[in-house]
Amino acid sequence: MVAEQTQVPEPSASSEPLLRVRDLTKIYESPGQRIVACEDVSFDVYPGEVLGIVGESGSGKSTVLQCLFQDVEATSGQAFLRSFEDGERSIFDADRRERRELRTHQMAMVYQNPRMGLNLMVTAGGNIAERLLAADWRRVDEIRDKASDYLSRTEVPVDRMDDFPAFFSGGMQQRVQIAKALANNPELVLLDELTTGLDVSVQAGVLDLVRDIQRIYGMTAVIVSHDLGVIRLLADRTLVMKDGHVVESGLTDQILEDPQHEYTQLLVNCVTN
Amino acid sequence: MASATTDRPSSSVRGLIAERGGDFSGYSFAFLDDMAKREIRRATLKAVAIPGHQVPFGSREMPIARGWGTGGLQLTLSLVGSEDRVKVIDQGDDASVNAVNLRRLVAQMTGAEETLDTAEATLIQTRHRIPEEVMRDDQILIFQVPIPEPLRFIERSVAVARGMHAEQDYSRMWLALYEDIVRRGEISAGAGYPVMVNSRFIMAPSPIPRWDIPKLNQADTLFLFGAGREKRIYAVPPHTDVRPLEFEDYAFKTEEFDGLACEVSGATDVYLVESPGENGTSRWTASDTNYADKVAAGIEVNKQW
Ligand SMILES: Nc1ncnc2c1ncn2[C@@H]1O[C@H](COP(=O)(O)OP(=O)(O)O)[C@@H](O)[C@H]1O
Ligand SMILES: [Mg+2]
Repeated sequence: MVAEQTQVPEPSASSEPLLRVRDLTKIYESPGQRIVACEDVSFDVYPGEVLGIVGESGSGKSTVLQCLFQDVEATSGQAFLRSFEDGERSIFDADRRERRELRTHQMAMVYQNPRMGLNLMVTAGGNIAERLLAADWRRVDEIRDKASDYLSRTEVPVDRMDDFPAFFSGGMQQRVQIAKALANNPELVLLDELTTGLDVSVQAGVLDLVRDIQRIYGMTAVIVSHDLGVIRLLADRTLVMKDGHVVESGLTDQILEDPQHEYTQLLVNCVTN
Repeated sequence: MASATTDRPSSSVRGLIAERGGDFSGYSFAFLDDMAKREIRRATLKAVAIPGHQVPFGSREMPIARGWGTGGLQLTLSLVGSEDRVKVIDQGDDASVNAVNLRRLVAQMTGAEETLDTAEATLIQTRHRIPEEVMRDDQILIFQVPIPEPLRFIERSVAVARGMHAEQDYSRMWLALYEDIVRRGEISAGAGYPVMVNSRFIMAPSPIPRWDIPKLNQADTLFLFGAGREKRIYAVPPHTDVRPLEFEDYAFKTEEFDGLACEVSGATDVYLVESPGENGTSRWTASDTNYADKVAAGIEVNKQW
């Protein structure tokens, strides 16, 4: 079993996957056009684990995350989250209210473009407060304590808490977005190309940050990147996607050292050569 | 209005109609036809059954312009009978031109009696105030509402706002209040402070001052709200929980008039409005004119809502 070899902070919970995805398919259909963005994608994510999804641009990685976060509706397939109906009912069958619960309590998404994940009309602290307010926090001092806690975890100067992230640098916006995603301790964090839009100079800092957060707080995450360097640094296990399909999966180290599928071999050689 | 003084001597609806050679005889009782009244009453019953929920209704053309109380007027006309005693106040004042005209119109179209006395009235139509004098369970207070949607300021789309109400998805409303506190040190909403009705719906209490908000909670009286332009009716039935939105550490507060007293009645602990006095001074008087008159006349008034 692959799971036994992965880092698992809470051994008692390790036997059962936190997320099970089965035959996830998304087809974009318009008159005269049918795009299979992803097809029959299946995988498990265990508690405390970071699962990577790697593949070239257009391979369907973002689509998988968008379906899981229900920004878009999956065409078919199922996804079971341990905390949603004891993992017995697919989150794709959630009604609107349940879906909102999933998006504000159980899951969080960090988008490639911080503008997608942040509300630029409210302060950095307000962005974090939004998830706490959704969870019925009703003391301003406690909300602000918690917000500054999350901001300092993501190395955003706490004195910027009442400023608007619209005026922050890209790297700082991404840190605020991560802080927001961590607010209210979601069970599962989805991260899409988290450093792709950033200056090379700040990419390493953000990656280190996510790795440290994962180590310290044991976050469970699915992280998508076209960049094997990111995957190598953060992911315990990795899926390789091509043309909407999973072509290979396994421990990240194994995939990097001994890629089986010729597409993976190509990817790995591109990076190492 | 000022330009028309010479060729338009009448300010009352009756005067205007008479001047043009008409009378009320061709109209239905209470102006609205029976089908219109039924529809408004059905919407009202639904509103009472779902406290704080905005019920759409087919707002009719009225003989006053939208924005001048057509929603409240339609509610009043759908409920009023010839035995009723009708009072109309505009910011607490029975004597404003608009209040006078509305009151006369209702009385003349129904035979109902006009009154200025809060305690005597069976129906009170109001713009932006709740009377200081406690209302009873045999009375109805009808609010004229300009903007019925409390989420309007955070969500422009009516459809999205309705979805938020349906799912009780109010975190963005709370976020707006949080941001207000961060920027201004308090929740700055003055008139029209948002309230939670029956622990279910956030409601715009029409722009009444904060002073009046506590009166909505667990009252004996039926409160009806009519927005004519926006075509919405909503209600707070008697004995319903109505709570201002607040944080535990930033509690809701009413306006304070420390030290000031009403110049007409000497009353303190009453909602005061400022008007220019002589020699550039200001004059503070109770906005509820009937209350001030009663106190000035030595009449005892119960204001423990
Ligand atoms: N909204 C959409 N409408 C039509 N096609 C889309 C849409 N979103 C993505 N696609 C297509 O789906 C495929 C997978 O896209 P995506 O999941 O964004 O890939 P990746 O994240 O791996 O770059 C691509 O061919 C893309 O053009
Ligand atoms: Mg992508």
